[in-house]
Amino acid sequence: MRIETIRAAGGRPAHIRHDDLISAKGVSVVMASQLVLQNIDLSIPKGSFVSLIGPSGCGKSTLLKVLAGLVNPTSGSVSIAGLPPVEAARKRMIGLVFQDANLLPWKNAVDNASMLLGIADKSLSRADLRARGREMLELVGLGDSAHKRPHELSGGMRQRVAIARALALDPAVLLMDEPFGALDAITRDSMGESLLEIWQRTGKTIVLVTHSIDEAIHLSRHVHVMGIKPGRITGSLDIGLPYPRDLSLTEDPQFVRLLVQLRTMLRASHQPGGAS
Amino acid sequence: MSDQPVTNLSESRLASTWGAVTGSWLPAAILLLATIVVWEAVVRIFAISAFIIPAPSEIAQSLVAQWGTLMQATLVTAGEILFGFLVSIVVGIAIALVIVRFDWLGRALYPLVVLFQNVPKVALAPIFILWFGYGLAPKIGLILVIAFFPVTLSMLAGMQSVDRSLLSLMNSVGASPTQILFRIRVPHSLPNLMAGTKIAATLSVIGAIVGEFAGASDGLGYVIQFASTQLDTALVFAALLLVSVLGIAFYYAAEVLERIIVPWAPKFSHA
Repeated sequence: MRIETIRAAGGRPAHIRHDDLISAKGVSVVMASQLVLQNIDLSIPKGSFVSLIGPSGCGKSTLLKVLAGLVNPTSGSVSIAGLPPVEAARKRMIGLVFQDANLLPWKNAVDNASMLLGIADKSLSRADLRARGREMLELVGLGDSAHKRPHELSGGMRQRVAIARALALDPAVLLMDEPFGALDAITRDSMGESLLEIWQRTGKTIVLVTHSIDEAIHLSRHVHVMGIKPGRITGSLDIGLPYPRDLSLTEDPQFVRLLVQLRTMLRASHQPGGAS
Repeated sequence: MSDQPVTNLSESRLASTWGAVTGSWLPAAILLLATIVVWEAVVRIFAISAFIIPAPSEIAQSLVAQWGTLMQATLVTAGEILFGFLVSIVVGIAIALVIVRFDWLGRALYPLVVLFQNVPKVALAPIFILWFGYGLAPKIGLILVIAFFPVTLSMLAGMQSVDRSLLSLMNSVGASPTQILFRIRVPHSLPNLMAGTKIAATLSVIGAIVGEFAGASDGLGYVIQFASTQLDTALVFAALLLVSVLGIAFYYAAEVLERIIVPWAPKFSHA
């Protein structure tokens, strides 16, 4: 039935696997006469945790923006649960988290967490929003800081509020663009563990853009490696490690093997490539 | 229990603000006092005529002798400044909102506003007198044309400096331009707006005095002009002192307003 919806909406044959929540077919993006993304095919099953990793300028952030409906592909098509990304976003199916938490400094943590939900759903009362915001703060481990303003929170706490804000929409997909990129190593680790916990509790589909190999292996089920000039997917890797995973994983021989493998793939992706 | 640290934090912030104020005032106060002492000494030693440079003591005498007249004039000028200042803020904000909200109108309006900024507005005073007479209106008009610009410009800067990814978040959930304007851009612009308001406060004083120079029968500007034709330089300085006090009062009123309205804004601390 979902496949029929896709056909009706996209007007093209839907050869998408039934359980794919996100699907990109032949996506290319040209910006300022530069080929930023070339012929990206991506299918991400529901409930999965996928990382996009690659060197700077490989277009991984642009790809995330395409999935979010913030950048229109020059050619190719994207669907989120059978809908074009912009429509999916309007239906609150997409939660976004960027490197900068972008909290509103004049609002406390609860009101920040429920801010987008309030815009998306005008029928909710202030009390409903607060309750939802509080619930999400509990989920990200900030239950005690509900009334703090952003300047009273640490960088990691602010990013937790940003995650709570995205989750408050109850989206099917969480798209995260280097969410821990500005945090110190120790905070990063604990944020990663929290994210895994949240993922397991909520069952969201998560797409994470990162430039940290460790983070990609530690967190995700699949890793897509991207290359530069033009930005494209050069390889994919299944991380077969069982969940729940904690940081002791980094000493696991299999983790080390994956690390070496991924590093080799990344090194190869640094070489500019023509049309393959 | 979780509220406890927040209270402590705001108390300690108050304390540190007070510390910053006294800490930054003290050196300035010492320098001011030294200047007055040297001024007094120089005037006495070189026996400089009081209608060229009156000694601080002579200015003080004049201030006491003319207290009633001066207070009356101060009240008139303060009223003009306050009224003109408020009108400037309202008009300045309105222009900024229109420019940001209505793109085509903004593109028409903004260059003209900047162009108008190059008109020497002091020179408009006689025209305003011609149009509006000798009452309150020409002073308000003059303050408005002098003081609205920093308000408009600072608010525009604040509204246009919203982070792009925050706008992306808003757009992704289908926020309307009006929602983005009033929920994000306007509150985000408040720290800038308050900075512009402080500049407008100072300019409002200039506007009022220039307006009174051009044509008035009352106010400190009138007193300054009248006293200078009488070669009563001590009275000129006394009135000047009161104008400065008004300027400082309006500036700090704007600053107090800033701390109330935008407690989250970054502060320029001297500590």
